[in-house]
Amino acid sequence: MGLVESGRMPKPLTKLLNLSRKYSVWAYQWGLACCAIEMGAALAAPRYDVMRLGVIPFPASPRQADLVIISGTVTDKIVPAIRRLYEQMPDPKYVISMGSCTNCGGPYWDSYSVTKGVDQIVPVDIYVPGCPPRPEALLEGIVLLQERIQNEDMAARWRGENRGDPIPVG
Amino acid sequence: MADDTATEDAPAPTEPEAEAPEVVTDDRREALLAVFAEHLGDAVVEHHIRPGQGLWIRVANEAWATAAEVARDAAGCKWFDFLSAVDWLPSPFGRYEDSYLDKPFPPPMPERSAAVAGLTGSDTRVQVLASVAKVGTDLRVFLKADVDDDKPSIATWIHTFAGAAWHEREAWEMFGIDFVGNPDLRHIYLPTEFEGHPLRKEFPLLARVVKPWPGIVDVEPMPGGDDDEDDEAAAATAEGEAG
Repeated sequence: MGLVESGRMPKPLTKLLNLSRKYSVWAYQWGLACCAIEMGAALAAPRYDVMRLGVIPFPASPRQADLVIISGTVTDKIVPAIRRLYEQMPDPKYVISMGSCTNCGGPYWDSYSVTKGVDQIVPVDIYVPGCPPRPEALLEGIVLLQERIQNEDMAARWRGENRGDPIPVG
Repeated sequence: MADDTATEDAPAPTEPEAEAPEVVTDDRREALLAVFAEHLGDAVVEHHIRPGQGLWIRVANEAWATAAEVARDAAGCKWFDFLSAVDWLPSPFGRYEDSYLDKPFPPPMPERSAAVAGLTGSDTRVQVLASVAKVGTDLRVFLKADVDDDKPSIATWIHTFAGAAWHEREAWEMFGIDFVGNPDLRHIYLPTEFEGHPLRKEFPLLARVVKPWPGIVDVEPMPGGDDDEDDEAAAATAEGEAG
C-alpha cells in the first residue's frame, strides 16, 4: 500500500481498490437507543439483508471496522466512549449518523443531557434522517456511502484533502 | 416523573363516592396504614387512601429512615420499588406545545406559593418520594417526606434497602438532595463534571436560551380551529352521510 501514501496511484488501480473497498465494508453497529432496533431490522433481518450490498455488519471490534453506524440518542456521558471508538478504527473510516437524535438531538433538542448532534465529536459522512428512519433510508445511506467510496481518490484522502461534504439522505 | 405524580391532582374519586349512598372502604390498606401509625406515631403527618388502588403516607423528615424499617419489618413491604423526588414548583419554561409562549427569556420564576403539592400535601417545595410493595399482594405504599427548601437533606435508606443506593444517587444529582449516611453520592447518569441539578425547575434549559421551541412551526392546524372552515364543512358532510 505504499502506493497510496506516495500519492502516485495509477487510475485503474485506484478503481480496483475502491471497488474492493466498496463491496467489503465492515460496519460496526453502535446502537444507543430505539434506532438500534431499526438498524438491526435493516442490517441483519432477511427482508432488508444488507449483506447483499456487500456490507458485513459483524466485526468483532472497532479495530476491524471500516464504517460505524451510530444510531440513537447520544448523551454527553457517552461522548468520550464514542470518540474513543472512532479513534480505534483504522483509516479510511466512515460514519453514518442514523436518526434524528444522532443527527441533531431530535426530540431531545432542549435536554440537559443529550448531545445535539454526533457531528460535534466525529466527522459524519452520511446523515440518515427519520425518527426512526425506514430501513430503506438506511440502505440508501449505505448505497450513497458506497458511491462515495467508489469515487474517492485515496491518495488525496491520505494527504488529508478530499474529505467530502456530508451527504444527507433524501 | 413530576408529571406522573402531578396526575394525582386529578379530582379525587372520593368526592363522587361521598355523594353515593355507600362509602367505599379499603380494610386492607387501612390495616397497613394502622401499622405505620402504630410504629411512627405523630411522625405520620398525613395520609391518603384511594380504595382498592393505593396508599400514600407522608412522614416527617426525621422519621424517614424509621419509616423504611417499619415498611420492611412491621408492614411486610419487603420489596423496594423506587426512590425519587418531586419539585412541586411549576416550570417557568412552559410545557410542550405551549412553550412558544416562553418569551421573554429567561422566563420569570414562579412564586414559591405557586407550588401545589399532590396527594398528602407538602410544606416544602421538594419532596422525597419512595414506593415499597408487599410481595404476593397488590399492596403498595407510597412514602413521602418534605425536605428543606434551602438545604435539602434527608436520611439514607441504604441500611434498610441496599438497592436504594443508586436511586439516592439519582435523586442527589437531579434534585441536589443530600442523603445523610449514603457514602457514595456520585453522579450516576450525568457526566462527572456536570454542574447543577437538572430536574429542579429553575435549571436553565440552555437550548431554549438560543431559540424557543421550534416545533410549533411544524404543527398542523388543529381541527376545529378558526382557519379550517373546509374541514368543518367536510366534517358536516360526513356527519350528514353517517346520519
